[in-house]
Amino acid sequence: MLAFLRKYQIPLSSGFCLLLSFYILIVSARGQLKNEPVGAALMWVLRPLQIVSQGTANWIIEVQENYLTLSGFKSENERLRKRIQALEVERQRLLEAEATNRKLQQLLEFRIRLPGKPVTASIIANSASNWFQGCILDKGSADGVQKDMAVVTPLGVVGKVVSVTARSAKVILLTDANSGIDVMVQRTRSRAIVSGSLDSSTVLKYMKRSEDVQVGDRLITSGLDGVFPKGLMAGTVIKVNKQSLGLFQSIEVMPAVQSALVEEVLVVGIGGETAPAPN
Amino acid sequence: MKLSLLLFGFGIILVVLQTTLQRLLPIGVVVPDLILVLCVYWGLHHPTAGAALGSFMLGYAVDIISSRLLGVNAFAMSLVFLAVYLGSRSIWLHHPIVSSIIVLFAALIKGAGLVLVWIIFLSTEGFWQGAVKYIVSEALIAALIAPLMFTLLQRGENLVTKPGPAAQ
Repeated sequence: MLAFLRKYQIPLSSGFCLLLSFYILIVSARGQLKNEPVGAALMWVLRPLQIVSQGTANWIIEVQENYLTLSGFKSENERLRKRIQALEVERQRLLEAEATNRKLQQLLEFRIRLPGKPVTASIIANSASNWFQGCILDKGSADGVQKDMAVVTPLGVVGKVVSVTARSAKVILLTDANSGIDVMVQRTRSRAIVSGSLDSSTVLKYMKRSEDVQVGDRLITSGLDGVFPKGLMAGTVIKVNKQSLGLFQSIEVMPAVQSALVEEVLVVGIGGETAPAPN
Repeated sequence: MKLSLLLFGFGIILVVLQTTLQRLLPIGVVVPDLILVLCVYWGLHHPTAGAALGSFMLGYAVDIISSRLLGVNAFAMSLVFLAVYLGSRSIWLHHPIVSSIIVLFAALIKGAGLVLVWIIFLSTEGFWQGAVKYIVSEALIAALIAPLMFTLLQRGENLVTKPGPAAQ
């Protein structure tokens, strides 16, 4: 028996891992996998590394952008080039500070309009898989973030929290194929579901053929899914296709938020309604 | 054991790079699957029970960060490791082109595993077009970076396992 185990230890251990992962899949799909310690421990190890690595990536991008901005001045003499370089770096810094200031101001104004006590968080990592659209936030349960909280920006919906550890949270984006947000067409108040799809487009599902939906229609959260406060911008209709057969229309949507460009977000609790923006 | 732990540690670093520095690469939205290449290397050159567990854990780490459904990548990486291990016993491997081809096939196996899991546990609406795109692009990118990563891993391994002056 021992000789058999020793001889086939690799296929046996691989088979065990396959069965274990299948078991995890089943438990996870049923929503029964909560507070599992291995994931929390891995996240605890990964979080500081991700913060450092993301900081390095931001620094490299900044340096790259500065270099591209400055490359046009190469023909000028050395003294002027250095002077311009110094001024340009300073300008970049001020522009960045101004942009950050504007962004935070918008976030603050938006935060006041949101129900409950929103938590401000930064995105520290993106999805490591092409099959899922998600990101990791630097705030977790210790900061008041909980599962199923909405993740938003002043521009609209980003996604929702699907799991949390003490100091981080995993977010599924609106553009993920498995997401689904209850929305309504702002003009007609007809309801449907916005969801992502694997072919990189975002779609409006279950909109009846009889409903009037036009290109350019704005989609806002209905507040009925118990996750997103009512009245947040989810996207804009960019393509409507009423097929000759079937109950529903085929509608493509441009998400309100380009999640790849987002750095700071607000995490909002369940329920309530977003106050209208001041004119 | 020591080598397995080192490769696992290296895998954790790759997970971090895959989730943060991929923005710097000029290849659009497709994330290069460094973990897959590492699991193939592991299955080819150092297949042990620890390596099987390591592949599973690295897949699980990717799940922790990326996947709504835990176990998807853990399943795919375990499948890749097993397939590569079984395949490696009948293939002559020590050539960069061969390693590229093996990684290409491993990525296709991983894609098939993900499709299987997706069909069983997740929604398949609008699935096939995107799935084919990701399977093909992931496999090609992984095959392209495989020779470089294999060389780096081999050199790193030589540094770690090289006997010191006292042993000589």
